[in-house]
Amino acid sequence: MRFNAEDIKTSHSRVAIVATGVVSPLGSGLNETLASLKAARDCITPVSRFPVAQCRCQTAGQVDDEKLAEIRTNRKARRLHRASHMMIRALDEALSQDGQFRPEMAVIGTTSGGMSFGENYYRALDQHHDLRHTPRWIANYPPQKPALDALEAFGVSVPCHVIANACASGTNALGHAFDCIRSGKYQRVLTGGYDTLCQLVFVGFDSLQASTPEKCRPFDRDRTGMVLAEGAAIFALENLESAQARGANILAEVIGYGISTDNHHLTQPNPSGIGPRQAMMDALQSAGISGTQVDYINAHGTATVFNDAAEGKAIAELFDRVPVSSTKAMMGHSLGAAGAIEAIISLLAIQHQFLPANINFRAGDEGVNLNIVANEPRSAAIDIVLSNSFGFGGTNASILLQRFHQRPVCDGPIAA
Amino acid sequence: MSLHIAGMGWVTPLGRGLEKVWDRLLRGEEAAAQKVSRGAGEPQYPTFLVPKDELGDLPPHPRLRRASPISRFAAAAGLDALETARSAIGEIDATRIALIFAISNGGVIYTARFYGEVVKSGAQSASPLLFPETVFNASASHLAAILGITGASYTLVGDGAVGMLALKMAENLMTDERLDCCLIVGAEEVDWLLCDAYRRWRLLKSRPPIEPFRAPPKGTVLSEGAGAVVLGRKGPVAVDQIHGGTNFWRRNQAAAAIVPVLSNLTDARAKLLISSANGTFVDLAEMVAIHETIPDACVYSCKPALGESVGASALWQVIVAGQSLLSGKQPPLLHLATKDSPGSAEFEPTQSALVLSCGMNQQVAGLRLSI
Repeated sequence: MRFNAEDIKTSHSRVAIVATGVVSPLGSGLNETLASLKAARDCITPVSRFPVAQCRCQTAGQVDDEKLAEIRTNRKARRLHRASHMMIRALDEALSQDGQFRPEMAVIGTTSGGMSFGENYYRALDQHHDLRHTPRWIANYPPQKPALDALEAFGVSVPCHVIANACASGTNALGHAFDCIRSGKYQRVLTGGYDTLCQLVFVGFDSLQASTPEKCRPFDRDRTGMVLAEGAAIFALENLESAQARGANILAEVIGYGISTDNHHLTQPNPSGIGPRQAMMDALQSAGISGTQVDYINAHGTATVFNDAAEGKAIAELFDRVPVSSTKAMMGHSLGAAGAIEAIISLLAIQHQFLPANINFRAGDEGVNLNIVANEPRSAAIDIVLSNSFGFGGTNASILLQRFHQRPVCDGPIAA
Repeated sequence: MSLHIAGMGWVTPLGRGLEKVWDRLLRGEEAAAQKVSRGAGEPQYPTFLVPKDELGDLPPHPRLRRASPISRFAAAAGLDALETARSAIGEIDATRIALIFAISNGGVIYTARFYGEVVKSGAQSASPLLFPETVFNASASHLAAILGITGASYTLVGDGAVGMLALKMAENLMTDERLDCCLIVGAEEVDWLLCDAYRRWRLLKSRPPIEPFRAPPKGTVLSEGAGAVVLGRKGPVAVDQIHGGTNFWRRNQAAAAIVPVLSNLTDARAKLLISSANGTFVDLAEMVAIHETIPDACVYSCKPALGESVGASALWQVIVAGQSLLSGKQPPLLHLATKDSPGSAEFEPTQSALVLSCGMNQQVAGLRLSI
């Protein structure tokens, strides 16, 4: 949505991040994730969950099932989908940081939820296999189910909005949660995203030739496509005053959010970069900051020819040599979880004052002036990070995180 | 903040068009069931389908050329809702409207076809044309492109309550003064695979009719279509309150989840409840909660007439409530099993109505409308 000169300027609630949790190919939990980022570790491995012999791409970023073993300790948990296990793991980490956090609502992003259970059911039906498990698969297949399972595991019964805006879902979830608190309607919202690898989606991206048989090289001039991944991440967001009043630990703030829709094509961005540009501009304007105040951009950077060209163009137009990296080169593209996981990476960059690396990078597109954090992480003074997510359907989302300052360094929305 | 329903549109198994479908409901008509099946010799399932000739006048937009039925239903309902909204709020600026799409099962027809080819012939036969249409937000993307929406567009997934959750999301978005209105669309399409899944889930009835509030419940019949509501700052029907809902973890906990929702929404004027009774366990849970919270209310469910459309159903219920308030009329509740069930109270024109949406997979939400 666009800002107009007559937009109303009101005092907005500040939005604090008070707890987080994550599980991804980079590791289970914040510590393992940080270690992988600091080591610029390539966590892409050969796909082991389903046959890929007929696919161009045969690698992915996968979560080690051993990391989820502690979740599957009772009969009910064993019946749940892996996506539920990942969500429970991420939520457990977040709530262990702040046991007093009582959300009023959950806003979670995904693209396919428990899709592999749907695949099991279809194959059993088609090939006349044993159908005894079908009720379990069907009951746990709906995309919203892993979010509800995680809430149930911790006895949290709140309205749960599950956003399926393709690859932007995670950032859209964070952004909408941010908007809900900032408007003053809510005090505490649980947000995040999840997705697991499944054959249907893997083969689908392969059919589009969007995934690569080679290394994932975001923003490289010889990039050949993405590598898929899986994971889950959770954020506990709270009105800053409320969080401070109860003595919560403030990890950082969310300060801005932008969303746009690019109607160019169902699967390809407008080459002009208008969609990403509008989302990033709206995020900056909602935060009341200029592009010069951004210290690092965690790009969507899928390494497809079209995405990186459009996003790179928009970044180069809006920002002056701000360091940029796509961490998808290390862990792959986890679709509905990507925005939430990359927001965690952005938070870690703020907390530990470093720029995560864009590995597998050799040389950028000619004529596109980007400051890529090539191959190695770098120490840097980081106050504000922009994280981008763009998806099928032309959905674009950008979110801004800032290191916590007792006094605000920006005053909220400004006119364009 | 005052929110109103400015426009409504629906595509249903009883046809398309606000007044046309409403008149048929008032006459006590119900959709004719059609059988769907994977092929000859395979099991057949009763469904309520949208008549094929109802979408003939859709604009020839390139996005609809290959789109699945769910996208076409959504486009028709959305365009109709915006058309009716124009009389209430004037011309609509596409840069000041948000789109919220409610969906449950999504594009199952293309998804089953895409994956079926993969299972049958291997990954090399996967269609790059079908795959993008299997993504949950494909229908929203098509509708945004048709309408020229370049701002916020969200697709929400959930069970039968997802349409109500989408309305709640719209209410949250409308705190932003830069928005004039939200278009909320719920849509669903049906095929044999979905019916088979619901049958194995023990929720499907082998033949119509849907018998609301029957104990024990016999099951539902799936249907397809779309419902759309334009939520603005003015319009003929006020949205007094939307309860963001809650969740239940087991079917026998559904009534306990519904009670606080109804208790929170009800007021002295609310004498009409548009229920989500669909012939399943939902009915008995609602019956218990209604007896406990608003025992004298007139209760109506449109599902015996239109079927259970899951993603579209809550929007259909809201449209029924709006039409009841505006017309002072109420369709007859079809196939009511017992005389002492909630649907037996006599209808009297009212200025306030409740809509309750209890889904079949753990979610409950509701709202109150008034004129």
